[in-house]
Amino acid sequence: MTAAVRQAATLLLADGTRFDGDGLNATGIALGEAVFYTGMTGYEEAITDPSYAGQILAFTYPLIGNYGVSGTVSQHPHACVAGAAMKHIAEHPSHYASKQDLASWLDEQGVRTIVGIDTRALTIALREHGTIPAALAVGEAAIAGIEPALARYVREATTQGLVASVADAYRPGEVVGTGRKHVVLLDCGVKKNIIRDLTALDTHVTVLSYGANAAEILAAKPDAVVISPGPGDPRDLPGTVETLRALIGKTPLFGVCLGHQLLALACGGETYKLPYGHRGGNQPVKDLVHDEVLVTAHNHGYAVDGDTLPADLEATMVNLNDGTNEGFRHRTLPIEAVQFHPEASPGPFDARNLFARWLERVD
Amino acid sequence: MVIGSGPIVIGQAAEFDYAGVQACRALREEGHRVVLVNSNPATIMTDPEIADAVYLEPLTVASVERIIERERPDALLPTLGGQTGLNLAVELAEAGVIERYGVELLGTPLDTIKLAEDRERFKAKMIEIGEPVPQSQIVTDVEAGVAFAAEVGYPLVVRPAYTLGGTGGGIVHDEAELRATLQTGLDVSLIHQALVETSLLGWKEIEYEVLRDRAGNCIIVCNMENIDPVGVHTGDSIVVAPSQTLSDLDYQMLRTSSINVIRALNVQGGCNIQFALHPDSSEYQIIEVNPRVSRSSALASKATGYPIAKISTKIALGQTLDQIPNPVTGGRTKAAYEPTLDYCVVKFPRWPFDKFPLADFRLGTQMKSTGEAMGIGRTFAAALMKAVRGLDLKFETLTGGAYAEWSDDELERATTEPTHDRLFAMCELLRRGRDVDELHALSTIDRFWLWEFKALVDLEERLAHGDVGDVRLALESGYSQRGIETLSQRGRTLRQAQGDIVGGAQGDIDSSDVAPVVTLSLSKGAGELGSIPAFRMVDTAAAEFPATSPYYYLSRGEADEMRPTECEAVVVVGSGPIRIGQGIEFDYSCVHAAWALREAGFAAVVINNNPETVSTDFDVSDVLVFEPPGADEVEATARATNARGVMLAFGGQTAINLADELTKRGIAIVGSDRRSLDMAEDREKFDAALEKLGVARPHGRAANTFREARATAREIGFPVLVRPSYVLGGRGMEIVYNEGQLASYVESAPPISPGAPLLIDKYMRGREVEVDAVFDGDDILIPGIFEHIERAGIHSGDSISVFPTQTVSDAMEERIAAVTAAIARELGIRGLINIQFVIPEGTDDLLIIEANPRASRTVPIISKATGINLVSAATRVALGEKLRDLRWGTGLRPKPDYVVVKVPVFSFAKMRGVETMLGPEMKSTGEVLGIDATYAGALRKGFIGAGIRLPSEGGCVLVSISDEEKPDAVGLMRRLVALGHRLVATPGTFDLLQAHGIAGERVNRIGEGAPDVLDVIKQRSIDLVINDFKSGRGPTDNYRIRRAAVEASIASLTSLDTAHALVTSLESEAGPPRSLQEYQATHTGALAH
Repeated sequence: MTAAVRQAATLLLADGTRFDGDGLNATGIALGEAVFYTGMTGYEEAITDPSYAGQILAFTYPLIGNYGVSGTVSQHPHACVAGAAMKHIAEHPSHYASKQDLASWLDEQGVRTIVGIDTRALTIALREHGTIPAALAVGEAAIAGIEPALARYVREATTQGLVASVADAYRPGEVVGTGRKHVVLLDCGVKKNIIRDLTALDTHVTVLSYGANAAEILAAKPDAVVISPGPGDPRDLPGTVETLRALIGKTPLFGVCLGHQLLALACGGETYKLPYGHRGGNQPVKDLVHDEVLVTAHNHGYAVDGDTLPADLEATMVNLNDGTNEGFRHRTLPIEAVQFHPEASPGPFDARNLFARWLERVD
Repeated sequence: MVIGSGPIVIGQAAEFDYAGVQACRALREEGHRVVLVNSNPATIMTDPEIADAVYLEPLTVASVERIIERERPDALLPTLGGQTGLNLAVELAEAGVIERYGVELLGTPLDTIKLAEDRERFKAKMIEIGEPVPQSQIVTDVEAGVAFAAEVGYPLVVRPAYTLGGTGGGIVHDEAELRATLQTGLDVSLIHQALVETSLLGWKEIEYEVLRDRAGNCIIVCNMENIDPVGVHTGDSIVVAPSQTLSDLDYQMLRTSSINVIRALNVQGGCNIQFALHPDSSEYQIIEVNPRVSRSSALASKATGYPIAKISTKIALGQTLDQIPNPVTGGRTKAAYEPTLDYCVVKFPRWPFDKFPLADFRLGTQMKSTGEAMGIGRTFAAALMKAVRGLDLKFETLTGGAYAEWSDDELERATTEPTHDRLFAMCELLRRGRDVDELHALSTIDRFWLWEFKALVDLEERLAHGDVGDVRLALESGYSQRGIETLSQRGRTLRQAQGDIVGGAQGDIDSSDVAPVVTLSLSKGAGELGSIPAFRMVDTAAAEFPATSPYYYLSRGEADEMRPTECEAVVVVGSGPIRIGQGIEFDYSCVHAAWALREAGFAAVVINNNPETVSTDFDVSDVLVFEPPGADEVEATARATNARGVMLAFGGQTAINLADELTKRGIAIVGSDRRSLDMAEDREKFDAALEKLGVARPHGRAANTFREARATAREIGFPVLVRPSYVLGGRGMEIVYNEGQLASYVESAPPISPGAPLLIDKYMRGREVEVDAVFDGDDILIPGIFEHIERAGIHSGDSISVFPTQTVSDAMEERIAAVTAAIARELGIRGLINIQFVIPEGTDDLLIIEANPRASRTVPIISKATGINLVSAATRVALGEKLRDLRWGTGLRPKPDYVVVKVPVFSFAKMRGVETMLGPEMKSTGEVLGIDATYAGALRKGFIGAGIRLPSEGGCVLVSISDEEKPDAVGLMRRLVALGHRLVATPGTFDLLQAHGIAGERVNRIGEGAPDVLDVIKQRSIDLVINDFKSGRGPTDNYRIRRAAVEASIASLTSLDTAHALVTSLESEAGPPRSLQEYQATHTGALAH
């Protein structure tokens, strides 16, 4: 039932820092940005979160896989991370909803995984150096070729194409749900739970590609448009930004995470890359409108520069840890966006009523 | 005003000292004047430095009202003193005191506190907000409970309202059990009310620690999962933080529920919520809500690094979470965030069952443990092993020891019916090849944990079979070098015996002449195996942000994060979990040692593993290492901090016991060194020293065999005092009157051997006095001498003691001081020494009972009573300073003109079946202080503070006096009658009353016909029981009388000396309350030179 740890593996960072550990069954080299996730639960959701495309995900919590894999909380039909790194993987998970153990599932999904490394040392390295290109090699053959592979990746790596690689969970035009209101969702690599939350609010959702143009979107006659989260740099999607700019004033808009950044760009704001991002389920965000603190789920490496918001946008949310912008709204139009994930999965439910509150406004 | 939690009892331990200290500091940080009331003198919170006015006064409405009248506080913070503080605040409000003096109640509103305690209102509130609660009914009489049971069926849980640590509750399976448990439960409830509810046996027990501010912001500090499913009190469960078997959805579901609950309850501050989670679905029930800081919140604070009590206090002052700076990141971030861990934490309870053979060991809804050890590790295995090893019960492995000799049946029973043996019984079953599914069926414990246990058992088996390749894994899994050596030794012995199981205690490798297969030394062997010790930070943020808190634990084979200290470091070794005989007083000493080190310009490094304590608050020291104070960990800490050495004198016997091993490993001891310690503990060396000084001690010697013991006893004459050497709290100590008793003692005691001889002393009846002193090589400092109220034979921890002495002459005190100095010099003491003397009745002799080259139970008391900080002085002396250069003077200091009395407090109500007769084996869990201008007044405050309900005039006293004491009892009886009390006497004692013309009623012996003495007690027509009959081997009639009194919540005295003291206290009134600062200011003895 369990995939015992079986071969050598190495995680190499572009600055030369090296972690040797044990690999699971999927051999070969994974290339990506090394990032860390601080949630103590939610590994299945995280590994299937499309926003982790192109990233080697390290878990700061050392004991991963304790409650197995259920399949029901996956956010995408397949694993999205480039690779995974952890201290310890449970051989004998225990949970009524578990269908299989994490190691065998990672093997099935072909996720190169390194186990038994000092993930805290890795986290400190990432915190101090910032997000960094990395190679994860599993198997002796792969390890032998890790250095040239990483060197090539450092030279050639790009975030271009990441969105395209994961914005494939739904057929363009696919309709989910039967509720009264009609929401068009621009899929940049959407998490299933966004669709689940929206359809639970008496909506039906039409999924359109991030590449759809304004005319196509408006032709679907939406009551509102939601722009999904997704991986990479928002500036890689100038077409989508253009589309959103054309939609301003035509339909209510709500952006989540990458959607928040794209909307900011469309409205004339700027985005930038964070030193090492926010990835976890414990980020405190102050809701400036309702004067309350929400503990929220995060997964982003880029942020909206709050100082560059144009005059017709106002900041609604701010991160209490580092002061970064976490949300804005248009002063006159039904346009809102948040940097964090109201849909949680994984993470706390504090912000779950945001969709509902916004949908009430668009009535 | 802050109200403390009073004496340490089961269910309320050092966690409230930790919380109270944080609260006082937080209040003063905000510029407030703090008035503290707490009767417990062994705490840090009652130090004059912690609050502006410290009142060591009884925690009763009458007493606190007088303090409020005097101090006129603007506000009262009631949620940091445990259930005691909370109950007292409720009583003060109900008595109109709060309103009368215009005191504002801070923090969570009183109505919330009442609502959370009142099961019916709580249930209604939960139903109102749609949160599930178990089917239940509030009852105020037994019949109503029986009727409810008829409706819903068994098993049921009985939970009395308004009690501590679940006193009197339990799970019942049939009507007879329900009737018995419910009656007790109603009796111990302050409001004579109990909840009877459907049992959730087998569900997972999960706790959430939540904070909420006045603006409604909520955060979860930590969640925790009990390995023992619902049914075992969380204080008696093995608890893991964070939860391990909950999915993200489970976690968030209960998180959301927690927030719904504290919002609905309008909690302002910390709150603990306990859930039952169905193992096979997402169904859950809310079991309990505690709207205050608690044992669990102390655990959560230490598990995460988040200071819950401090933040709760700031919330109570009206601040919001997004305003309060996060102390862990040095204010870079705010208190409004949720800690995330990159390690695992295990808490293991410490039970007092090793001391109480008659106790009921079964674990249920009534908490029985006295303390706990916590382990932090990068894996569950490491955290578990550190917690188990940290109990200081000589468990270095999970298998082996006595359990190897248990039958399968016994092991299965211990797995099904939880006791302190459960984990070890399960591990032994696993070792015998039972599988996880079988154990799950027996225990209902989640398979996740059972697989983890199995992995460790398998590892131990591999090590026992000589698999050296697993040594690295064992070290990383939290095993000690000694544990690994023991295992490899066990394997070799096993193989040599060709499959025969060899008994013997765990860790006992010295007794064998076969070299272990694996010998390790930390610097060499472990290093070569790639398992070099590495200190990791507890930073609340899993390294996402740089932290400033100097809070570490030990990992292996990973990166080391220990930062160099700014000055030369000295390590203070802590005392581990609170247990009978080694309590909070040692934590007090460790904290003061750390403070004194800092004052002297050193970096204070503290190593300890008790999550309840002040010493494990990272604010106390320059470096906190949260590890069991074992040789491996202390050595690693000393090396990592380049320490000058380690101080062992403050961590009780636990720390002292490390002296040999640390010396062998080349670690310097700062203060009295191994030679002094050995001289004090080695019987023959100590006798030689005394002989040289011409100081007498009761005749006696060490015996290595039973034959020797018998010969010694014959030679010195019965009665004799027998005890194993190197013991704690008088464990196993008994007064033996004849050879038969000696034989049966030897039979039941731990095996005697040349390494562990039996000590046999002539039992001397007389007055006991106790001295704590500091010696610097030239001068001695003795702040004062304590006199015990009870004559020798009762453990000093269980005696009432008084300072200044009441019946000891000045000349004798001078002699005591001189002898103390001479002994300290002879032993080579550099720092603290505690000596107990006996002055035999009718003589002017001075005999030594024992000398301890370390801090003692009385150190905090004498320090508070005199204002002379003994620990501080001892620390400075250990560092090489001279007393004459310090500020406390030298010699025997003058007496103050007030009197302090220490009264022990017992937890007998929570220890079912335990004999209450006092003797040489210590039984008390805590103590209170009474301070007054007069001896009688101090006694009165002491008794009231200890919770002994003094009979009011016309009260009824049951007297049952042994023949030896009858002559002494007559005067006592006359005094009781003179005070207007009625005497009820058992037949023999009734004859005594008649013979002396004292009025009294006769009551039947047990079984002599109804109503007999037990009936009279059960009917509660008695206010006080005096029964001094010596305990026997089994449950005698007198034992049953004393237990009946405990069950009926009637004070029962087992020594006539105590009874005399009680009568003295009844004969006069106590004086008005005064603060400790005021008392100390009048004491000239505290002024140097």
